Amino acid sequence: MKKNIFLSIFFLINSLLYAQTNDEQKYLLTSKTNTFGLSIINLTDPYISPLSYSGIGIRYDNENRQFLSPQNTKISIQIKLNIVGGLALNPAITSSMTYLGMNYGWGLHYHFRPITGLQLMAGGLWDVDFGFKYIARNVNNPVNIDLATNLNLSGVAVYDIPLRKRVLQLQLAVQSPILGCMFVPREGASYYEMFELWNLSDAVHLSSLFNKRGINGIFSLDVPFNRSVWRFGLSYQGLKYTANNMVFKRNELSLLIGTTFDVATFGGRKNHAPGNFISTKE
Amino acid sequence: MKKYTIIFLFAVILLPSCMDDPPVLPDTNKGNFEALWKIIDTKYCYLDYKHINWDSIHTIYEQRVTDSTEVFAFFDLMGSMLGELKDGHVNLYSSFDHSRYWKWYTDYPANFNSSLIYSNKYLGGNYRIASGLRYAKIDNDSIGYIYYGSFSNGFSDTNMRYVMTYFKECKGLIIDVRDNGGGMLDYSEQLASYFFKEDAITGYIRHKTGTGHSDFSDPVEIKTPAHKTLQWQRPVAILTNRMSFSATNDFVNRMKMAPNATIVGDKTGGGGGLPFSSELSNGWMIRFSASPMFDSNMQSTEWGIEPDVKDSLTKSDEAKGYDTIIERAINILKK
Repeated sequence: MKKNIFLSIFFLINSLLYAQTNDEQKYLLTSKTNTFGLSIINLTDPYISPLSYSGIGIRYDNENRQFLSPQNTKISIQIKLNIVGGLALNPAITSSMTYLGMNYGWGLHYHFRPITGLQLMAGGLWDVDFGFKYIARNVNNPVNIDLATNLNLSGVAVYDIPLRKRVLQLQLAVQSPILGCMFVPREGASYYEMFELWNLSDAVHLSSLFNKRGINGIFSLDVPFNRSVWRFGLSYQGLKYTANNMVFKRNELSLLIGTTFDVATFGGRKNHAPGNFISTKE
Repeated sequence: MKKYTIIFLFAVILLPSCMDDPPVLPDTNKGNFEALWKIIDTKYCYLDYKHINWDSIHTIYEQRVTDSTEVFAFFDLMGSMLGELKDGHVNLYSSFDHSRYWKWYTDYPANFNSSLIYSNKYLGGNYRIASGLRYAKIDNDSIGYIYYGSFSNGFSDTNMRYVMTYFKECKGLIIDVRDNGGGMLDYSEQLASYFFKEDAITGYIRHKTGTGHSDFSDPVEIKTPAHKTLQWQRPVAILTNRMSFSATNDFVNRMKMAPNATIVGDKTGGGGGLPFSSELSNGWMIRFSASPMFDSNMQSTEWGIEPDVKDSLTKSDEAKGYDTIIERAINILKK
């Protein structure tokens, strides 16, 4: 009997100490999401062809989101990476265009929680956008490169759907470029003249709503299972911009599937993991 | 504040109307004819230089186009229209044919006989091959001879170093670019660089800045750099004929400025416009001259470059197994 009382007191003290330790120190979790997608793409690039090319592609998205600090749960940092590869054909199916696209973005969002179960984020995202388009049968203009940097308006809505055994999360994320800079060559200027004779005149342009409009939207559903959370989504990217009397378009509709999870990161001199966290480095 | 918000929203909606898509012509014979005519009208660079009345050509050919014309006949009609440009860089490509204008060499003597080149008097059977260069010593090993058949076949500095080493006892060098229809401008610059002692402005290029026939950018200098480690300091002769075209034409233009070089043979075929590609709704591709190139005096190189020493292959020499133009070059190099 005495032994049982002693053991109970011992475990109670330990759990109180643990709770105290937990209350004293908070750790940031990084939400990491990786998704793969199958895309339908449509590209118009008058520098290499006056026709629109349509085809399919595959896509990879990586997103990390973390609050600024454990004390500040109002502002989060977002880092996004998107890679697309595709093959598109002209309407007569006599020519193909190989496409490779990449986008890297860094954003800040302010979090609102107007009602229970609903989280809204509003902020901005700065990105670097790269695209490579190649039509093999062309001479001297087989390639055009998309290179741009943009400041985007960004908004996210996350809604919890509590079910009996799990809570689903519905998310809508939208961003749109409002200001930036882009590379668009003159229609008759060859890459030989631009990059071997170094004549880049009229190739760099300011972009804003008057010459560039786009929307990048992802609608997704996070479904938690026993040991993982899976994301299923639909993504649409529409972009239209003009410079040097040419109108460029890029449209992509994708079905996405992936996983999302939260990680805590420890490293360096001051950010040690608690003793009950086991690392392979030890 | 509400008023400014409404004005801003209207501006956001209305301003992008400057991003209207250009009209796409229908995939019919008439639609494809109009598209082809318009591509040349707005993007081809020699309409004014060649004094071509492209509007009147539209009138003539429009009357002959019907939507019921069968595909081969329609292709031939479009090829015929493009033939009015008299440009070897203008071709229409379909899945069954590609149109061409070859009179820039077919109307002239060939001035080249490959069986002579590969006879024992010149390259013979044991010539050496360094990437795209075929070379041998000729005239009792006193002259180095290189036949370079295409600027699409590359070569490296290492290739050229070995070639020059092989020819180190020779009094002069012949580079034969007859029947070389062109290729990459990069190889033209690279090959020319071995014959310059210092960097030189050897030409200019312009590009179209608008849809008007004379809407061009300011000329941009084209330099031929002197190669930093590999230079041929002795006399060199460049052999040309009417089939020396496009990038070969560019090479000959550069070598006109080289200190020890002599151009021997016939006028080159020209092809001074850097070609671009576009396409029609029916999937046919059109290649056309888009950026005009000029020599160092801002003279167009479209119609070709005159040699320093004009000579032609004679039948009597051919019958004896001599290539008149090579023999003339040998005499020049040995002076």
